[in-house]
Amino acid sequence: MRKGMVIDLKRCIGCFACQIACKAEHGTRPGALWARVVKREYGTFPNVRRVSLPLLCMHCRKGPCLEVCPTGATRKRPDGIVTIDADKCVGCRYCMMVCPYGSRHFQDDERTYFPGLSPNPYESRAYAEHPTGVVEKCDFCMERVDRGLDPACVVNCPTRARTFGDLHDRESAVSRLIDERGAFRLREELETCPSVFYLPP
Amino acid sequence: MAFVSGDDVWIPSVCGMCPDGCGIVVHRVDGVVTKIEGNPNSPLGRGRLCARGLAGIQLLYDPHRLNQPLKRGNPEKGIAVDPRWQPIGWDEALEAFVERLKRVRAEDPRKLLFCGTTDSSGPPAFALSVFMPAFGSPNAFVCDERPGADAERMLARTLHASDGTSPDADLCEYLLLFGADCTSGARAEKMADARVRGMRIVAVEPFLSPAAEKADEWLPIRPGSEGALACALLNLLLNEYHLFDAEYIRHHTDGPYLVRPNGAYARDSAGGKPLVWDEAAGRARRFDEEGADAVIEGTYAVEEEECRPVFALLREAVRRWTPEAAAEATTIPVETIRRLAREFGEAARIGSTVTIDGRELPLRPAAAVCGPGAYGHDNARPTALAIALLNQVVGSSDVPGGLLGSGSVSFGHPETGLPHWAPGADGDGLMQAGLPPENYAAGRPAFDERFDFDCRPEVLIDHGSNLVMSAAGPERCLEAFKGCFVISVSLYSDETAEALADIVLPNACYLERLDPLPNPAQQQSAAGRGDWAYQLRQPAVPPLLQRRHFAEVLLEVGERLGIADAMNARTNVLHGLRPPHALSPGERYSWEEMVDCIYQGWFGPEHGLAWFRQNGVLTWPKRLEEAYWKPFGQARVLLNYEWLPDWQPCRAQQAQIGFDLQAISYAVPWRTASEACENPWLDEVCQSEPYSYFLCLNPRTAAAKGIADGDAVWVESTSGRRVPGRARLSEGVHPEVVAIAGNGGHWARGMPVARGRGVFFNALLGADSEQTGPASLTIDGDARVRVYKE
Repeated sequence: MRKGMVIDLKRCIGCFACQIACKAEHGTRPGALWARVVKREYGTFPNVRRVSLPLLCMHCRKGPCLEVCPTGATRKRPDGIVTIDADKCVGCRYCMMVCPYGSRHFQDDERTYFPGLSPNPYESRAYAEHPTGVVEKCDFCMERVDRGLDPACVVNCPTRARTFGDLHDRESAVSRLIDERGAFRLREELETCPSVFYLPP
Repeated sequence: MAFVSGDDVWIPSVCGMCPDGCGIVVHRVDGVVTKIEGNPNSPLGRGRLCARGLAGIQLLYDPHRLNQPLKRGNPEKGIAVDPRWQPIGWDEALEAFVERLKRVRAEDPRKLLFCGTTDSSGPPAFALSVFMPAFGSPNAFVCDERPGADAERMLARTLHASDGTSPDADLCEYLLLFGADCTSGARAEKMADARVRGMRIVAVEPFLSPAAEKADEWLPIRPGSEGALACALLNLLLNEYHLFDAEYIRHHTDGPYLVRPNGAYARDSAGGKPLVWDEAAGRARRFDEEGADAVIEGTYAVEEEECRPVFALLREAVRRWTPEAAAEATTIPVETIRRLAREFGEAARIGSTVTIDGRELPLRPAAAVCGPGAYGHDNARPTALAIALLNQVVGSSDVPGGLLGSGSVSFGHPETGLPHWAPGADGDGLMQAGLPPENYAAGRPAFDERFDFDCRPEVLIDHGSNLVMSAAGPERCLEAFKGCFVISVSLYSDETAEALADIVLPNACYLERLDPLPNPAQQQSAAGRGDWAYQLRQPAVPPLLQRRHFAEVLLEVGERLGIADAMNARTNVLHGLRPPHALSPGERYSWEEMVDCIYQGWFGPEHGLAWFRQNGVLTWPKRLEEAYWKPFGQARVLLNYEWLPDWQPCRAQQAQIGFDLQAISYAVPWRTASEACENPWLDEVCQSEPYSYFLCLNPRTAAAKGIADGDAVWVESTSGRRVPGRARLSEGVHPEVVAIAGNGGHWARGMPVARGRGVFFNALLGADSEQTGPASLTIDGDARVRVYKE
């Protein structure tokens, strides 16, 4: 069992619903974007293309974050999901320096979305789950996964661009998409073996 | 509604962050909304929400929301003036409101003006279609649309029997977009399916917008010249490549009707019916008379006059638009225009059929879509027509694969047959759209005194339309209304409230409201096949603090004005209510009772408010004749060829010394309407992407002006107004253009998240009558500008 995700860039419209679906699921503080979208242009006028690239933790099989964490806060579950234990994290941020995908966020203060004001009723509840002074990131919605659900960004994606499943199961939807549609991974040359695959735009 | 500890429920409702109205479920725990998700039981959204819909929670709990009525403490009105709000009670606010309305109604009810939004059709629809008619004023408007939207809607209605159109995502194979977005919103999933199965998309627009990003081919065009391109495509299809659907034109349009030299139809002297030419009989005959197929070409003598079929005149009307002429007008190369025409005409597969549910229907898998980028100009009417005619000439209108009217036909719920509407034919055989009972006018109030109306507005109700920013030219708007008593019904102390309002009433947002039938009548399902879906918007929490649902406020105001009976009658008209579900004169109903009557009236006693509260959405499958109505009907649509010669480039193209660029605005899906601008989750999205908060220039254009990426610059229009912004250099911009995301540059004190973000495009526009296109009666949505560093 190795949990993984396929993101179909042909379907993706770069609408940021994944970014907000993640925020709504986890109630993260300002600046914490466990899921995000990067937009890049290629070519020169009038032959131009823009590609929207959704990013999240790649849940690498050989992630450098796993090696540098001095306290064992970052670890990999048997199903391949890379997690951070906030109780063990000391906020040294080595993991952020070595992550090639910029997928980690350091929660340095108790900012709210309405500067200068106390948290609103929603934020009061949500931020109780987000201690400061620690690093956080996408955990593939492991609490949902453990209940048999797909991650929030997957179930909400308006274009159904995201598919989640077991990369080790040859018959799974993720495996079939990877085989049939010429999937690629980001920065494969670093040999981090990400669990997030992309289908070409 | 009292909450007990342990309260933990999911409430089905309807999103209100845009007019699409997707189904949602709202999670409430101990009285606090903790999550909004898509409702998987609703075909509208199918359980998936856009960024805006997910972010609604930060609208509900925005600490900057209005929480009590306010009155102006500063007698001065004006842009960026501090209104010095003073809190007042609802009693005092309504007293002042009612007193003004009583006086105006006694003098001349037309002096009351209402400006609403297309968003959240609950309170605005009630005000537009119930309160205002009962009050006696026709001056009710929807004010947040692009210029030119009326022209597009008129064509949708006259050609597709609907208020809007959409390509058939199930079967379309070639999609030609003119400044249109078909990728986002409620149809996002079906369009993604279409891309994966290989539908080709060509996007014609001056800016590589989020929609154009998903096209196979982006064709940058000089903005405002889309009509010239469409005319050239028509010319190539009709006069050079002969790629047109003669059968369709003969049977479903007025193409064969003979036209006299004076432009009128030739008519039969006895019954006055339009005539066609019967080649076999060698004579003219009534269009509805038995006979051989009518011809659609040639010249024929009828009562000693030379008459020509409409279609022949259409061919003549586009003949001047050679590919060379269009290339000159649009900056798109001649060979590209030729290729486009051939691709579109061939993709339509004229003559092909498809069998669906055992019925053989025409298959025309090509659609041309006219969006705000194309119609948003003073040449809206001929431009939108030329684009619409591309579908008519290849026969891809309201047939499988083509461009479909949204909800053109409704046979109603299987048990009640309601709501029911369908297009029919008039005595001339011409299509008359069958309109749902619920309908209201859209448009803008005319500011200009030179229009010489016999009545000037004295009281203005602004219901969230934020007129000062959504209309063209804020100073002009201010001049027009600062003499009025202005009541702002709003979520925030927005720019219009701060500049103009005497009284501000705190509105309930969509998560605090009960709204019957929140989806526009013809958008109860996606175009094409699928399910009808009728939904209920219900409060996840009661209105917080002193916020109130404006429809309930209007019920109270109506009672005090003595127009409650008339409001009951108008509600019956609006929703087509008949006994026993009709509201009775003399009776008084609460808002909940009215909502219950509406649902029971449409769907029977077992599907009243209680049922909808529990279930959220009522669905049933759309019939084939509802999805693709054209092959099942006899009604003909007008080709309106005589509008095409009116086409001229838009005003913003006119060269002016020193003003070398054309400023265009474009919609950003994650940032539409003021409440999205004030939402910090959505603000964070805009901060993290490269375009929304910038004005975009082609790098070569910028280099010639010494402007680098990120530079602070001014945009100044020929009307003398200028706005600040920051430059973003992008290869995805036409070199003659500066592209600006709409809805930026807020300055209200009451919207600190939105304040200072992005560029205030509408300030560049003029709202003068001399800028209004004579054929379209709309201003140009673009401006001629220069961009410079200071």
